[in-house]
Amino acid sequence: MELSQKIDRLMSRVQKPSRYLGCEFGSEKKDPKSVDVRYAFLFPDVYEVAMSHLGMKILYHTLNRRVDTYCERVCSPWPDMEALMKEEGVPLFSLETRTPVGEFDILGITLQYEMSYTNILAALKLAGIPLYSKDRTGGPFVICGGPCAFNPEPLAPFVDVFTLGDGERAIHQTVDLLKSWRESGKPREDYLRRAATEVEGAYVPSLYDVTYNEDGTIHAVTPKEGSGAKPLVYKALVNDLTAADYPDKLIVPYGEVVHDRIMLEIFRGCTRGCRFCQAGMIYRPVRERSMDRLLEIADKLVNATGFDEISLMSLSSGDYSCLPELAHEMVTRFLERRVKISLPSQRIDAFLKDTLKETQKVRKTALTLAPEAGTQRLRDVINKGVTEEDLMRAVTDAFEEGWSAVKLYFMIGLPTETDEDVLGIADLAAKVRKCYFSVPKEKRSPGLRITVSASVFVPKSHTPFQWAAQLDKETVQRRQKMLKAEISKLKGVDFKYHESDVSYIEAVFARGDRRCAEVLARASELGCEFDGWTEFYDNDKWTQAFKDTGIDPNFYALRARDIDEVLPWAHLDCGVSMEFLKREWEHAQKAEITHDCRKGCVGCGMKRYEGACR
Amino acid sequence: MRCVFRFGKLDRLRFVSHLDLQRYMQRALNRSGLPVAFSQGFNPHPVMSFASALAMGWESEYEVLDIKFTKHVPEREALARMRGALPEEMPVYSVRYVDDRHPSMMALVKMADYRVTPAENFEALKNGAREFLFSERVMAVRKTKSGEREIDIRPLCVLLTSDDTALVMRLMLTETDTLKPDLLLNSLSKLAGIETPEVRILRTKLLGLNAQGKPAPLMEL
Repeated sequence: MELSQKIDRLMSRVQKPSRYLGCEFGSEKKDPKSVDVRYAFLFPDVYEVAMSHLGMKILYHTLNRRVDTYCERVCSPWPDMEALMKEEGVPLFSLETRTPVGEFDILGITLQYEMSYTNILAALKLAGIPLYSKDRTGGPFVICGGPCAFNPEPLAPFVDVFTLGDGERAIHQTVDLLKSWRESGKPREDYLRRAATEVEGAYVPSLYDVTYNEDGTIHAVTPKEGSGAKPLVYKALVNDLTAADYPDKLIVPYGEVVHDRIMLEIFRGCTRGCRFCQAGMIYRPVRERSMDRLLEIADKLVNATGFDEISLMSLSSGDYSCLPELAHEMVTRFLERRVKISLPSQRIDAFLKDTLKETQKVRKTALTLAPEAGTQRLRDVINKGVTEEDLMRAVTDAFEEGWSAVKLYFMIGLPTETDEDVLGIADLAAKVRKCYFSVPKEKRSPGLRITVSASVFVPKSHTPFQWAAQLDKETVQRRQKMLKAEISKLKGVDFKYHESDVSYIEAVFARGDRRCAEVLARASELGCEFDGWTEFYDNDKWTQAFKDTGIDPNFYALRARDIDEVLPWAHLDCGVSMEFLKREWEHAQKAEITHDCRKGCVGCGMKRYEGACR
Repeated sequence: MRCVFRFGKLDRLRFVSHLDLQRYMQRALNRSGLPVAFSQGFNPHPVMSFASALAMGWESEYEVLDIKFTKHVPEREALARMRGALPEEMPVYSVRYVDDRHPSMMALVKMADYRVTPAENFEALKNGAREFLFSERVMAVRKTKSGEREIDIRPLCVLLTSDDTALVMRLMLTETDTLKPDLLLNSLSKLAGIETPEVRILRTKLLGLNAQGKPAPLMEL
């Protein structure tokens, strides 16, 4: 029986068949025989999450503009489907043509989150691709990009090439190289060797040796002799986003997905310098798309998709240099067509009253603010340049404009945190509540709802906190409980917090080295997958995996690193220099802030890139 | 004025649920640029209705969508715009305008035609069908939201025959009297003494009654 028919027969037995249909409006239809390169793009999570990811949309679009290439999507099958596939001998397949992934030339995988690593291993197995790079003699090259590629070491043995930084150009280079390598008729290793020098931001882990000290720390990471690999790999950088490719059509899913709307990336990068934030470091410098270009894209996408909502995306949308003009223009242009405009991840200090009014005209959802820490001292430590006054002004403005729902995001376990800092969160929530009641009754909307969410801090590579220890689970849980008790005294305030177990595993892999790969392999053998999903995360299996491999998770999660320790990612350069990170780590410990670099260069190191930073 | 489209739902799209289809169609209408009327109120939505919901897993070449327009668009243009807004697996076959006072398409549906293609045991099923047609009463258990109920399905089957590869049937489809092809198939299998085979179900027509009280395709009423 043909594979597609086999898949169809499983459809009546799975929860959501719409995840596997693939013939959505806007998806690419090409004759696979007419192209030179077949590219499978795997998002290692379920369809609804994958289809909400902007990066995949951009890369899918830019690859499919080529006549010589057909890029198809692949998602992790949900466990019900995965079990049936194994039972019926259905291999991992692409959505568009339902081709087994093993038949593609390149398997591109996006690394968004450490807890999706086991899904990658599960996908390789389901595709019948040898798990270890060294065992592959044919089949697709496995190439990974995305934020987690900046510390890829826990995945090093499984992956042929990592690409650091912006993918818009680098992904084409991997395809061009494939064609040229194939013509050359040289062995597989040759592609890897050439990738290391010919593809921007490419890191080929098999070309490096890692040596260790007696205490288990890394002694050195060095390119193998004669490999030609660079001692320091710089990320790829797209300087001009206005000129860069952006989709002019989008796939419209049949079922509901997480972000069921048009995503418009207004700029990339962030100048704020929050010390916990990896995105804020690795996506530097700030590059804006011009307003004209954004309006042009928005117009095309509304026509091409029929979506009734546009979300302005970036790390800090309030910082867009002409946000009021953009918001105003978007709202007026699309009002008649019933298209709503929304601004996520709003920073409170950039809050503009006029913008508030504009967005409200079309849509009034919960106002989302992220003070991150409960006291000014701790906000200074993390360099969240936000004061209590800023916060109160922002919420008062919002309440006066008719908002009644506020979401506040915090972290527990930040470096130098004390009980007092955590209690400060409840204190802030109480003050926000007071702001609401200080607005005259006839002016405010009824039904105040404040949601306080506290995640557990996970130190990440390439940030000033990369040397910090994660707070131990016992203290995290004690502080969560303490805060919960305090917040329960506040009427109309809800408290949500994360399980500390998952954050602990995330912390291991966020700063893990190559030895952690064995833990991943073992966890995958034990059946770990979809670890980011509470219903599938199995702490016992993870504990077992560490035990079986003899690897101590505390060494990675709970250990503060010496400032001179060779970090597993020391050879991978995101543009922000090690000197800058060290300086910031010192400032943090003294609770000294560093200003936003829009107000003047703070010497983060990005200027080493030609023309990158103005 | 109302514009009525006949479209298909084929191939893999048989796995799109009716609920998803409704949302999907709203977006398709948005991108079609057709002058669709929106409901009043806090959360306006296009004024449209499907003549009949199609069960998940069935294909159809006769689905009917009834949409209120704010102004007239030539039929050719309406057809072209709708085709441009839908994927290949949802072909748009025809379009017609009806007056606002015309009964809703949903209210007109009385019966539907299906082709049921079994993967195996076709001959046995045909024997079952013969026996069914000779029977005066055929009791079957119908599952509804309110529970299970045993009913006589014989009068709900208007026509039952076969062609080279499939059973061809015309079954009642009203609010009070409905027979679904999968339920009939179960009965036929039982009569034939076989396990219910795997089948593909294709709806080929939705019908109402014409002025003479005779069955007629919905698009012609």
